[in-house]
Amino acid sequence: MKDVSFGQYYPATSFAHKMDARIKILIIIAYIVAVFLVQPFHFLGFLACLVFVIVSTIVAKVPFMRVLKSIKGILFFIVLSAVLQIFFNANGKVLLSWSFITITDQGLLNAGFLIARITLVVLGASLLTLTTSPVEIADGLESLMTPLKWIKFPVHEFALIMSIALRFIPTLLDETDRIIKAQKARGADFESGNIFKRIRALIPVLIPLLIGSFRRADELADAMDARCYAGSKKRTKYKKQTLTFRDVIGVLFIAGLIVGIVFLNKFYLFLVI
Amino acid sequence: MQIVAQNLTYIYSEKSKGLAVRAIDGVTVTINEGDFFGIIGHTGSGKSTFVQHLNGLIKVGKDKGGLTVGEYDLSDKKCDFKGLRAKVGMVFQYPEHQLFAETVFDDVAFGLKNYGKDLSEEQISSAVRSALEIVGLDYDSVKEKSPFELSGGQKRRVAIAGVIVTKPEVLVLDEPVAGLDPRGKTEFIDLLHRLHKTFVKTIIIVSHDMNLVCENCNRIGVFSEGKLVKEGSPKEIFSSLDQIKELKLSLPVTAFLTEVLKEKGVNADNDFTEDGFVDAVVSAYMERKRGDK
Repeated sequence: MKDVSFGQYYPATSFAHKMDARIKILIIIAYIVAVFLVQPFHFLGFLACLVFVIVSTIVAKVPFMRVLKSIKGILFFIVLSAVLQIFFNANGKVLLSWSFITITDQGLLNAGFLIARITLVVLGASLLTLTTSPVEIADGLESLMTPLKWIKFPVHEFALIMSIALRFIPTLLDETDRIIKAQKARGADFESGNIFKRIRALIPVLIPLLIGSFRRADELADAMDARCYAGSKKRTKYKKQTLTFRDVIGVLFIAGLIVGIVFLNKFYLFLVI
Repeated sequence: MQIVAQNLTYIYSEKSKGLAVRAIDGVTVTINEGDFFGIIGHTGSGKSTFVQHLNGLIKVGKDKGGLTVGEYDLSDKKCDFKGLRAKVGMVFQYPEHQLFAETVFDDVAFGLKNYGKDLSEEQISSAVRSALEIVGLDYDSVKEKSPFELSGGQKRRVAIAGVIVTKPEVLVLDEPVAGLDPRGKTEFIDLLHRLHKTFVKTIIIVSHDMNLVCENCNRIGVFSEGKLVKEGSPKEIFSSLDQIKELKLSLPVTAFLTEVLKEKGVNADNDFTEDGFVDAVVSAYMERKRGDK
């Protein structure tokens, strides 16, 4: 339970940590768009994205292993989609054929392309959460969504829900740990049996967890009420976000990446040949 | 079942060097069958980590000392932990938070069904009935109820019934009276003594409540920074005032008042139980009266 490493904030003081959360969110969105802009088989484009990730990691002073670890959580997903591509893509030249499975050159290339894409997106996204604390992300999103107020979207409440959810993740992990221990002490077995048995074995953990969450929600609501919390009206922020030269550099960096990729898309053949 | 810990050590996050914490450090203790053993200590002193070893929730690491509970050797990887857990019941803080089933009956029977796969319906229902009766609930009126519609005190009783339903010989309780009102507390302690007279041979209780521990336990172990620093009868533990202060603990009322009387020149030496204290005070008073005459 304790090693949920994906997206855990890595405290440090670095160029990337000091950047404005809003700009970082926008940069990562732009980065994801850039990864998807890269057309199939333009491996130079992927290389550019990889360079972006590596440079950002260095600038953020985050150990490379921490960034790479973020892939672990979705490894199964990556492998599954690659395997599906390899086995069930029937286009292109057939390399191997055995009963209903045919492996083609197209399938292999597509699988590689897919792995590169997902991996790059996850690496970039994890850099955001590694360098930005949950509170900053929630604040940043709230600020970015301000225009939605015009269509009466409850932006502040939405951000509040998010930060509360983030705040309670460690608490819930702790609680899960405790309940698992209590049920184990009563002979519950989570480690043996087939998948259905194991899922069924989780019921005695999930139900107390759910009930505990409702209890906490009630208590938290009461505590907020007791301190006269009244939503978004005229609330000030403890930490004001301000733009600095760092954010300008970040924006220029990502802009360079996107321009480069668009350029590659147009002139790839010229460059390679 | 006798519990023997030999130099037992446990380190949290051992692999990441900066974060490693020695939760318990070379604990050696023997808890005999029949003991009502109290464990006290400041928050973070390793009490909970120690008791969670006793039924294998935390496994004894390699080269981290030895632990045997009856015939079970817990430092052996092939130890039958399931069999052990049926013999060593464990009640956590706020046990009512572990309730999950649709009816009280199902919740209490959960442990029983996990341990004894081949029990008949009658065996299960008679075991559930006796467990609910021991904790003071009326079987027929609560068995079909949802555990969530009961009162807080009743929920806790149901949760405890769910632990003792397998008739454990050792019962471990981690802060069992937290959040109970004074009356609930008294009833709970009565329940423990009732259990101690039946199939439960050994009770091990972790508590911050010095009065509770002093009054009910025959032996007490004091934890500090992962070490078992002192072990003995309540009298032995609470006689050295300076050490208790140094360990950031407080005195039970009886020991405190005995100390106050001593400062006033009244010798009312006693074993720090409520009865023992009252007897000593009365006899000291009588003696003084006789002396006055």
